[in-house]
Amino acid sequence: MDRRLSEVAGEGRPETTDLSPRSPLRRLWTYHTRYRLPFWGSVTLLLSARSLDALIPLFLRDSIDAIHAAQPRISAGDLMASDAQSMLLLPALGILACVIVRLVALANARRIIRRIAVYVAYDLRKRVYSHLQLQGPGFFARNPTGDLMARAINDIALVREFIGSGLRTMLVNITIAAVGVIAMISLAPVLTAVLLLPLLPIGIVGWFAARRVFERSMRVQQGFSDLSEQVQGNLYGIRTVQALVQEQNEIRRFDAVSDEYNTRFQALVRLNSFISAIMPWMAAFSTVIILGYGGSLVRDGTLSLGTFTAFFSYVGMVLWPVREIGQMVTLWQRGASGTQRLFQILDSMPEVVDSPKAEAPVQIRGELSLRGLSYRYPGIGHDALSGVDLTVQTGEIIAIMGRVGAGKTTLLNCFVRLLDPPVGTLWIDGVDIRDYPLEQLRRQIVLVPQDPFLFAELLRHNLSYDDPARSDEEIWEAVEDADLLTTVKSFEEELDTLVGERGVTLSGGQKQRSTLALGLIRNSPVLILDDCFSAVDTQTEEQILERLFAARRGRTTLLVTNRVSTARHADRIVVIDEGEISQLGSHEALMASEGWYAELDRIQKLKLQAGLHEANTTEVSSLGTQT
Amino acid sequence: MSADTSPSASTTVLKRDYGVFDAEIAGKALDAQLLKRLFQWVRPHRRTMTISIVLVVIASILAIVMPIIVSRVVIDGLLAGGQPVAMPDFGMNSLTHQLAALTGLDMIVAACLLYLLVVSLWAISAHYHRVYLTTAVLGALRDLRHDLFTHLETRPASFYDRVAIGRVMTRVTNDVEQLFQLLSGFGVLIGEFTPFIVAIVLMFTINAELTGTLLLALPIVAVATILYRRVTRMVYRNIRQSVSQLNQNLQENISGMPVVQLNRREHHNLARYTQINQLNRNEENHAIRLETWYGAFMDNIGAAGMGVIIWMGGGDALQGTVTLGSVILFTQFVDMLVRPIVVVGEQYNVLFRSMASAERIFQALDWDESIHEPRQPATLPADLRGEIEIRHLNFGYARDNLVLRDLSLHIRPGEKLAVVGPTGSGKSTIIRLLARFYDFAPGSIFMDGVDLMDLPSAVVRKRIGIVLQDFHVFAGTVHDNISIGNPDISRAQIEQAARHVHAHEFIERLPQGYDTPLVERGRNLSQGQRQLLAFARVLAADPEILVLDEATASIDTETEQLIQDALHVLTSGRTSIIIAHRLQTIQEADRVAVLERGQLRELGTHAELLALGGTYARLYALQFQE
Repeated sequence: MDRRLSEVAGEGRPETTDLSPRSPLRRLWTYHTRYRLPFWGSVTLLLSARSLDALIPLFLRDSIDAIHAAQPRISAGDLMASDAQSMLLLPALGILACVIVRLVALANARRIIRRIAVYVAYDLRKRVYSHLQLQGPGFFARNPTGDLMARAINDIALVREFIGSGLRTMLVNITIAAVGVIAMISLAPVLTAVLLLPLLPIGIVGWFAARRVFERSMRVQQGFSDLSEQVQGNLYGIRTVQALVQEQNEIRRFDAVSDEYNTRFQALVRLNSFISAIMPWMAAFSTVIILGYGGSLVRDGTLSLGTFTAFFSYVGMVLWPVREIGQMVTLWQRGASGTQRLFQILDSMPEVVDSPKAEAPVQIRGELSLRGLSYRYPGIGHDALSGVDLTVQTGEIIAIMGRVGAGKTTLLNCFVRLLDPPVGTLWIDGVDIRDYPLEQLRRQIVLVPQDPFLFAELLRHNLSYDDPARSDEEIWEAVEDADLLTTVKSFEEELDTLVGERGVTLSGGQKQRSTLALGLIRNSPVLILDDCFSAVDTQTEEQILERLFAARRGRTTLLVTNRVSTARHADRIVVIDEGEISQLGSHEALMASEGWYAELDRIQKLKLQAGLHEANTTEVSSLGTQT
Repeated sequence: MSADTSPSASTTVLKRDYGVFDAEIAGKALDAQLLKRLFQWVRPHRRTMTISIVLVVIASILAIVMPIIVSRVVIDGLLAGGQPVAMPDFGMNSLTHQLAALTGLDMIVAACLLYLLVVSLWAISAHYHRVYLTTAVLGALRDLRHDLFTHLETRPASFYDRVAIGRVMTRVTNDVEQLFQLLSGFGVLIGEFTPFIVAIVLMFTINAELTGTLLLALPIVAVATILYRRVTRMVYRNIRQSVSQLNQNLQENISGMPVVQLNRREHHNLARYTQINQLNRNEENHAIRLETWYGAFMDNIGAAGMGVIIWMGGGDALQGTVTLGSVILFTQFVDMLVRPIVVVGEQYNVLFRSMASAERIFQALDWDESIHEPRQPATLPADLRGEIEIRHLNFGYARDNLVLRDLSLHIRPGEKLAVVGPTGSGKSTIIRLLARFYDFAPGSIFMDGVDLMDLPSAVVRKRIGIVLQDFHVFAGTVHDNISIGNPDISRAQIEQAARHVHAHEFIERLPQGYDTPLVERGRNLSQGQRQLLAFARVLAADPEILVLDEATASIDTETEQLIQDALHVLTSGRTSIIIAHRLQTIQEADRVAVLERGQLRELGTHAELLALGGTYARLYALQFQE
């Protein structure tokens, strides 16, 4: 547990282990407001069901007293036993009636509150989903997918458990105890006062035990995830393990983790078992008080035998919640930590906020203007982009180059507002980019990202992801433009091929070209390609670009590339180095001047002569360190 | 494939259905075969198990004795003005009398003391029952986990090529975990049934007619439970499906968020998610309706029995055939009567899931795929010259798809051979065969004249040092990770190895130097650092033959130069086969072997092959388009 906590803290996500259940759970109050009516309806039903609980021992008391009173008269011959039995009819039927009413009330009360829990889970899921869709790349970098999934699944489940079970159990227990105490006091106040004495230590023990159980179960959970991690890590590296003949060592290591898990599990079970032994043992003192003190009262004739019997039931009612206090505390703690973790997500403000102004033109022409654009990632000590000035005319083709980490992708992300540039630094057709409605902006400025991503759906749906209503004709055209025709034709189902885990696995190059097709299909006034040919061979890249440049005549196109052979076709080339523009001009102009670009060209040609090179980022970055 | 299969038989790759690792297991609630097999692991812990069972029987009887003290000793004997009706009381009345006589206490106080004594004994025996039970069960599961992991650890690469790691992993973790509930569930059942049986017998001796009437509830409860379980099983399956759809949708949406946002699909996707969300809500509501009615019914059936007891038992008490205490005793037992059925109902789901888990575990344990190990292994000389000869080697991962075709290649002792070729030419396959990850035939590989098939795979792997492209970092310190190929090695030797391959510098800069713990899969190291560490590891093990798959990932120039130097150190004076991706590596090799579509196309020095103007020259000039 310690290790886990420090790891979590190391990742900058402080997780308070505040066990006081109040604060985070308050956040759920909105849902109380939303489901107020059914909630209080359910509470009322619960209350009435539990009041009926108190009636049953009363019926029992009446019958016992009646029998007790009748017995001597029957043995004396004053009364016929069969006549006396008619006295029992009312209590017997009374109990049956109570049972039936209680059954209906209980079933409905539980159903309503558990339904509320399901509805809240539904609402929360929807809320989380919508909220995530507003977040930018920074958020997803801070919160890995696995973590977000865990919150969306487990923590919502905890909240649901809290409402449907924790909250309900608490309400039920309070009612039961209250009804039981009231019934006892009305029957025999002094006896009641005496036998409630052992309840206090039971409650205290229960409270502390619950905390220990919570701690120990956390340790068990951690042990289990250590075990999983150990197995997973080992199996992923199984080839290395076997190549190094490390099987026996790994089995030993596994056994150690497995033993540790067993030890922790055993400790938890031992504690739980101890609690389930000690609590009833302590409760037995209440029973003994009824037996001894109550019994002597009966003998003295101040307490009826029926009341004496009924007290056993009532003590049971009062003890019930005391015994369950541990489980209740656990449910509340779990609910509180779930709520807290959930609201950590829901409280994070979107990085990019849509605040359109009316004067933003509906139709973008494609003139892009950067005026001293700087960008700094939160928590990073230096600018990713600093003071970039650049004007791109409508219809220009601009190649953007630079080594890894120079700021190319950061720049491109600003154009589609995946990152928000500072106000007044990025202008589209003379209007600040932040004044455009996001929807309008992203419809007309299309970014093809560096890493291709396909959904586990039909290829068709992936290619027309922006607009599912696209015609086949459009899709096929984009397929052809992205040089994907042969690939798609090779699939038996063509466009209706399922891609991803359960379907066809596409190669890196095929994925890139599919993503490219999705970008091309949109025929947008501004197209931005972020190094999306890295897994495509040079020849195919040339073919695609040739078509692309012809098709995009008159419209603005930006592309990041590492190949001079690609960049040379652009109208102008921008070289970015450490967030600043270091070179700007046409291919010829840059070749004529000594600098990074000319040097890159020389190296790439050399490498080409040497053969066998992959035009990847390696040489670009190596060049960077040389200049 | 069994161990004695001749190597030649392995060309036809056995058709195995790896799909079973993905399929959902339908299973049944009770499978005697599976249970019997499972108890193999419990058997070594049978003594602990027996103690636990004895304790639970004792606890059960004590649990029955407690209400007997209340009703028979206190109520009948002391308060109700005792009619002389002989009724079973486990000797509690006479015990109380003896206790009172012995201590001189009032009878009621004596009864109270007795009650406390019984409760204490009950608490102790119930607690130790649970402790012994979990000790036995956890011990059995630990052994099972060990056996399963050991089995998996020795499955060949061909197995791991075909199954998802996650699917295999959960068998060791979640499935074994699930069996805890099953095995301890048996203890729970014993704990519930023993008092039930004792109580029934007692009640029958007291009042057979009333007991018989009350037991009429049993078939009703049983039918209700069976029906309930049957209906909810379907509903639960629907819920599971909708939940996994929800998760899948969410996961994909998170992973592809930029695509979603750039294509303005937010509304559309939310609508689709909401659809599944609603479906899930409806299914949940369905389940809740069933659960709450069933639960309320079970909670109330006992209380309904109270009415019957008052009417019938009360009547008998008036007749004088039973005592008043007996009637009260009945009211105390009434909840116990339906408990076993409720518990069986609860255990039913556990049973179902556990059976499926057991089946998955045994499925993995029974998976006997393995590579050929010789029955009478050949011996290798203590010092190898380091000669490798590949003769007419054929190999394919799948049945009709040969990756290597009739490959023959002779590598001289101490030679440095670079293997090049386009993707899919079979380069990496050679490494895997040299590492004995797969059986191959027809064809053979000889190491100093000894057929690899005549050597145990562990021996081959000890003599041939293998550096895979995806270097696996073990959880442990840097020291552990370097020494792993040779556990007896000293710290000085480790540092020396690290120094030789230029890993020492970066290791020294780590927070705790050689004692810095590395995270599983080495996420806290860069690509280049991992590569250098892999070199240090193999150098420390100092094998006679080195086989290395050069990493292709992009690394900064400085590190790249370090790696090249390290590679030079590593390969000097050692037979080395390198799947080469870097020009410098190729140029430094003694010879270059060019593979294409599984066949050896060209073999010679870099200069010779360039002059030849064949495949190598073409590969070399592939990008040249000026």
